[in-house]
Amino acid sequence: MPGLAMLGSLVHPLFAQGDPLFDNGVGWFVWVVVVIKVLVAFAVLLVSVLLMIWFERKVISDMQSRIGPNRAGPWGLLQTMADGIKLFFKEDLLPDRADSVVFKLAPYLSLVPALLIFTVVPVGGVITISGHTFELQVADPPIGILLVLAMSAIAVYGVMLAGWSSGSKYPLLGSVRASAQMISYEAAMGMSVVTVVLIAGTLSTRGIIEAQSHTFFTSWNLIRTGVVPFVLFLIAITAELQRPPFDLAEADTELVGGFHTEYASIRFALFFLAEFMNTITMSAIVVTLFFGGPDGPIPHIPSATIWMPIIWFLAKVMVFLFIYVWFRAALPRLRYDQLMTIGWKYLIPLSLAWLLIVAGFLVDGWWGGGIAVAAVALSTLLVRAFSIGKERDSESSNVPVLGSRVAPPGLHALGTSSAVPPEDERSGHDEGKS
Amino acid sequence: MDQYLPIFLMFVLGVVFAAGSFVGSKMLGPHAKPSSAKTAPYECGIIPESEPPQRFPVRFYLVAMIFIIFDIEIVFLYPWAVVFRQLRLFGLVEVLVFAAVVFVAFLYLVSNGALSWGPAKRLEAGMPARTSESTISRITAEQTSPGQAA
Repeated sequence: MPGLAMLGSLVHPLFAQGDPLFDNGVGWFVWVVVVIKVLVAFAVLLVSVLLMIWFERKVISDMQSRIGPNRAGPWGLLQTMADGIKLFFKEDLLPDRADSVVFKLAPYLSLVPALLIFTVVPVGGVITISGHTFELQVADPPIGILLVLAMSAIAVYGVMLAGWSSGSKYPLLGSVRASAQMISYEAAMGMSVVTVVLIAGTLSTRGIIEAQSHTFFTSWNLIRTGVVPFVLFLIAITAELQRPPFDLAEADTELVGGFHTEYASIRFALFFLAEFMNTITMSAIVVTLFFGGPDGPIPHIPSATIWMPIIWFLAKVMVFLFIYVWFRAALPRLRYDQLMTIGWKYLIPLSLAWLLIVAGFLVDGWWGGGIAVAAVALSTLLVRAFSIGKERDSESSNVPVLGSRVAPPGLHALGTSSAVPPEDERSGHDEGKS
Repeated sequence: MDQYLPIFLMFVLGVVFAAGSFVGSKMLGPHAKPSSAKTAPYECGIIPESEPPQRFPVRFYLVAMIFIIFDIEIVFLYPWAVVFRQLRLFGLVEVLVFAAVVFVAFLYLVSNGALSWGPAKRLEAGMPARTSESTISRITAEQTSPGQAA
């Protein structure tokens, strides 16, 4: 970690104070700018979701040697739009056993946080129009990154309540899985973000990208935090987003579609919208936290300082969007116990240890090295704890089967051709074994 | 608080957009009352016999409780990270002590098996593989069994 020593006073005082737009009170011009910012961000998000869904389908079909959507519009570009409009005309079902208030509330709880996260993403530099200077980002609150974490935590409620209120088996299973998964990876995600906050010394997203914008690439947090937090964060948000290979909550092959099985028409569309919006926003958050946001070389052309950062930002986000699609095409879905093992036993200890090592190096090299050595030593303790935990759990690791079905123990002793198990034994298969 | 104005506007816009979509779909969609088969819980076309499960494996609750430990740790780590430049060595030692306490708790949990999701269910060695013959014999066994039990 070469850059860690020169971190003295990198945070520019101007940017720790939020958007300069609000410095002179809130006049009509400020209102106009704010409304335009919000509307543009909203429109851009919706359009980019349309394009993202098309992009995902097209790239995956290329990877699987198919053609993919190609009828609506040039190269099938309007396919998502057509699907969306179709969903408006579909029957809006409220299942019999559903809790109607919560059932109707859940799509809001998914969509609104997805929109709010995007507000703190810096998409460009600072511009000045008729004496008013403002940042190219919807909002710059001093607690920017906390808002991201808070909103992604609220999004758990959307999924959880949607599944619970449906009054049906598959959505309930999907939502319980999803909420356990999301809280499991939230801890690792939070701790890798703390590493970035430690380096930047501020919670403001603008402050974080300012702290990275000194020399191209080497001043990015990717390098300055030592790559590991980025890898942890990428894995953790893939799980938070429930994108493959962590899409156990939806798991179409076993759970029919997970928490939104019972949703139809535009309610389903809003969940879908929120999901892809979150994918785009989280790619933007990765870029902001680890890749300098809009930071990049700017050619000496007039007005390039305004549009070049935006292009850099979009290019970096595109890379991550492609990576997500690539994950989906290339990686098989994890088993649930594998998912939990990765989250709790590898990501969390590793992110905590790395955070302490980075903090140690910020004080001085001896502390950093010492903590690194201690972390390696303690990891042997952790491995021992894992194996003890495993031993406690190892009874009945083999389940006798008859045909392809999981059968109660002892059944196989009867042989296969004449096996007629007693009724009470057969009814309780697969439950309460572990 | 001015900095939060755009966030509030975005919140309002999001709620209005979602509500507007519902109204739009209500106006554009079919108005006929859906049949009872459509509003029944999805069960692959079968009429559902049982209520959705009310009880869940206790591990899900354990995960939620363990999560709180780490969440509280993270809540304390954020303000610490922001002012770490001023705290320097004092802050480092404090957080090391804190992390050691959490780590010991984590070790205890892990070695108790609180975070292991049970062994993977594998086919037992020596069991016959699934063939068409075994399937036929299983199905015949199932079909005859109610009569024998009665």
